[in-house]
Amino acid sequence: MLNVLLANLPLLLKGAVVTLYLSAASAALAAVIGVAVALLQLYGDPVTRAAAHVYLYVMRGVPLLVLLFAMYYMLPYTGIDVGATAGGIIVIALYFGAFMAEVFRAAILSVPRGQWDAARALGMYGRLLMLIVVVPQALRIAGPPFVNTCIMLVKGTSLVSIVGLWEVTMAGRQIVERTLAPFQVFGGVAAVYFVICYCLSRYGRWLEKRVSYVH
Amino acid sequence: MVAVRGVSKWFGAHQVLKDVSLDVAAGEVVAVIGPSGSGKTTLLRCVNLLEDFQQGEIRVDGEAVGYAGAGAARRRLPERVIARTRSQVGMVFQSFNLFPHMTVLKNVMVAPVRVKKMPEAEARASAVRLLERVGLADKLDAYPARLSGGQQQRVAIARALAMQPKVILLDEITSALDPELVGEVLAVIRQLARDGMTMMIVTHEMQFAREVAQKVVFMDGGAMIEQGPPRALFADPRTERLQAFLKRFREGYQL
Repeated sequence: MLNVLLANLPLLLKGAVVTLYLSAASAALAAVIGVAVALLQLYGDPVTRAAAHVYLYVMRGVPLLVLLFAMYYMLPYTGIDVGATAGGIIVIALYFGAFMAEVFRAAILSVPRGQWDAARALGMYGRLLMLIVVVPQALRIAGPPFVNTCIMLVKGTSLVSIVGLWEVTMAGRQIVERTLAPFQVFGGVAAVYFVICYCLSRYGRWLEKRVSYVH
Repeated sequence: MVAVRGVSKWFGAHQVLKDVSLDVAAGEVVAVIGPSGSGKTTLLRCVNLLEDFQQGEIRVDGEAVGYAGAGAARRRLPERVIARTRSQVGMVFQSFNLFPHMTVLKNVMVAPVRVKKMPEAEARASAVRLLERVGLADKLDAYPARLSGGQQQRVAIARALAMQPKVILLDEITSALDPELVGEVLAVIRQLARDGMTMMIVTHEMQFAREVAQKVVFMDGGAMIEQGPPRALFADPRTERLQAFLKRFREGYQL
C-alpha cells in the first residue's frame, strides 16, 4: 500500500523543499510589509494612512486564489512579468502582509499607556522610545498571532499549484496522475504541511516561554 | 524651581484646570491634596507635559515647559526640546510603570545611557548606588514581575533619580500598594526630602503630607483653593471646601 508513497518520496520531498522556500520568503516579506503598514496606519500622514487602509481592505476582502489568478492571467496583459515564483511569493506576501499589519498594529496599541508615559518622563521620544520601550513589548504581544498567521501562510502556499507553480501540492497532483493512488499520495502531502505547521507551533510556544517577563 | 502661572486646561468643553498658580522652591517639598477628580494629577502631568495645557505657563528652573510665546503666537515646542525638559524632571507613577522586559538594573540605567549618553560603566555604578540607597542591592538582576509592589515602586524612584532630575513629581505613588508596603516607600521619600530633593507630591496620605511637606496645596474642581504650611492648613483650614474635605477624610479614617 505505502509502496507508492515510498517510491515517490524523493519527488514529494523536493516539493516540500520548494514549499518551505516559498513559505519562508513570503513570510519574511509579509512581516516587513506588515510592520511598515502598521506604522503607516498609526503614525502616517492622512494620505499614507488612506493608502494603507485601501490596501488592507482589498487584501482582506478578496480571496487569495482570486489574487493569484489576477496576478497570473491579468498582469501579463499590462506588460509586467516578474516570473511565476517571484509572482507567487509577492502575492502571498501582499495577502498575508495585510493580516500581519493588523497583528503588529494591535500589538503596538496593547503596550500600556503607562509605558509610554514612563519612557517620555525619562526624556525618550520618537525612534528611541519605540526601539527601547515599545517594540520589545509589542513583539512579545505579537508573537502568538504572528506564528498563527505564518501557519495560515504555509497552508496558503498550496494555492499557487493551481496557477502552475511547482511545489509539494503540485508534486502530489503529478504523482497521482501517474500512480492513481490519491489516498496515499495526498496523505503524504498532508503530512508535509502538518509537520511544517506543527514545528512552527511548537517553536512559537518555545519562543513565547523564552521571552516571557518572568524569569 | 517650579513656577506654575495661571494654567488652564480643557478636555473638550470641560475645564479640568482653572487658572492654577503655584511655586515650588528649590529643596522644597510641596504636597498637593484634594478629592479625586480635583485635577491634582493632571496638574502634575502638565509640569512635564505628559498632558498639554491650553493657557498659562509652567517654568522649571527658569525654562518654559512645552510652549513658547503667548496668546495667538503660543506654539508647542518641538518634541526634542520637550524631551530635554522632561529628562530634567523625574516622575514616579501610581502604577510603577517599570519596563517589564528589563532587569531592575537595566530599568535604572537605560535612560542615563540612552538619553543622557552617560558612559555605560558610570551609569551602572550610579544605578547600583541608587538601588542600594532604596534597599534593593540584592535585586539588580531580577525582573519587575518578580518584585512586590513596594519593591517595584522603590525601583521606579531609583529610575527617576538616576537622571539627576531638578525636581521629582510623585503621582499617588502609594495608592496601588498593599497597606503593609506603604511604609517602605514613604521611608525612601522621607530620606529624599531630608537630602534636599525638590518634590511635588500628589497624595492621599495626609499624615505623610503633613510630616514631609513644607507646603500643602489643596485643589478642588480643578482650582487651587488654599495653600500654606501643613500645620496651619490642617489645623485651621480657612475655606469651607477644605474644612469639608478634611472632615470627610477624618471620618473615613475613623470607620
